[in-house]
Amino acid sequence: MNNLHKTLLGTLIALTIAGLFVVTSQAVGSDEEEDGGTIIFTRPVKAVIFEHSIHMDMGLECDSCHDDLFEMAAGTAEENDDFNMKALYAGKYCGACHDGETAFASNTRCTACHIGVKGYDKLTGKSSKKGGHGHH
Amino acid sequence: MRNEQSVRPDAITDEERRTFLKLGLKITGLLAGGTVLSLVPVSEREAKASFDFAGYENSKYKPHYGMVIRQNHCVDCEKCKVACAKTNHVPEYGFRTTILEREVETEPGKKYRIFMPVLCNHCMNPPCVRVCPTRATYKHPENGIVMMDYKKCIGCKTCMAACPYNARYFNEEVRAIDKCNFCFDTRLSKGKKLTACAEACPAHVRVFGDLADPESEPYKLIHQPDKTIWVLRPETGAKPFIFYMND
Repeated sequence: MNNLHKTLLGTLIALTIAGLFVVTSQAVGSDEEEDGGTIIFTRPVKAVIFEHSIHMDMGLECDSCHDDLFEMAAGTAEENDDFNMKALYAGKYCGACHDGETAFASNTRCTACHIGVKGYDKLTGKSSKKGGHGHH
Repeated sequence: MRNEQSVRPDAITDEERRTFLKLGLKITGLLAGGTVLSLVPVSEREAKASFDFAGYENSKYKPHYGMVIRQNHCVDCEKCKVACAKTNHVPEYGFRTTILEREVETEPGKKYRIFMPVLCNHCMNPPCVRVCPTRATYKHPENGIVMMDYKKCIGCKTCMAACPYNARYFNEEVRAIDKCNFCFDTRLSKGKKLTACAEACPAHVRVFGDLADPESEPYKLIHQPDKTIWVLRPETGAKPFIFYMND
């Protein structure tokens, strides 16, 4: 194998790895390219689900939330210390609409968005580690 | 009514009764051809207390530790499980507390998720204590906690079979049954007021305290006449000391 071949092979491998990485990160961040797909928040608690499609079907546009309430880049809000229920009650983030008037209030129907560790494991394909309470 | 005798309320199966109780209704009337004739909201019928504390009033424990679970606030973040395992050295295969999940259909086609924290119910009349051949598991004489004495445990697992709440597991490391003891050895006996799970909960789902003290938060929670309070598997007669409510 000469040097040219080696270089080509190396480039091919590098591209393949890069390609895999892109595919993987897309699978985690979004299912559908167009509408941002399914977002799963894991901070400050695991886990909260946000479906772009459900909200788009209600007639919301991209700029209804971006970039004022949420940055386009997934995971940005989670970096903030105030990304919590208290902020929502004060009208920030999801709380801008989920105030009891535009949409159901943030302090009601907790599990409509909170899917828990169990929901997270199901969505990410992780099986529950132990069957502790299986016999009921 | 002619067929009154054949359709007495006590002829209703436990399953049917539970289904109605889940709806917040108490069966007071008769069944006729499968139709319940009289249903009233529990809170309306028993205005003074929504929970029947018969059998609970003769507690000899002071304090009498118990927990109130504000179920509808649980989002299964499992910070309680993590804190419990860390505090009490619960191995990966074991559990002292866990979260159960189920989906209920609130209206046709619409499902709602419910998370239910479960742990040892520290029963007033614990079946596990009754069946233990070596008295390795016992009620703490002062505070009512169902305790384990690892040294006396022979690992026969009879208590596991007797427990209505599946709250026990065999710990391979100590070669004995392990279970929730409200963090008695790891926290309460060291002066801490809360269990690890109660302290870790971000939504104040687990309200721990002395249920013999009318001034305690859990006591006040379960003595609100307009709230429905329930326990798990009341039909076993174990008189569980973990109370559930939505608020």
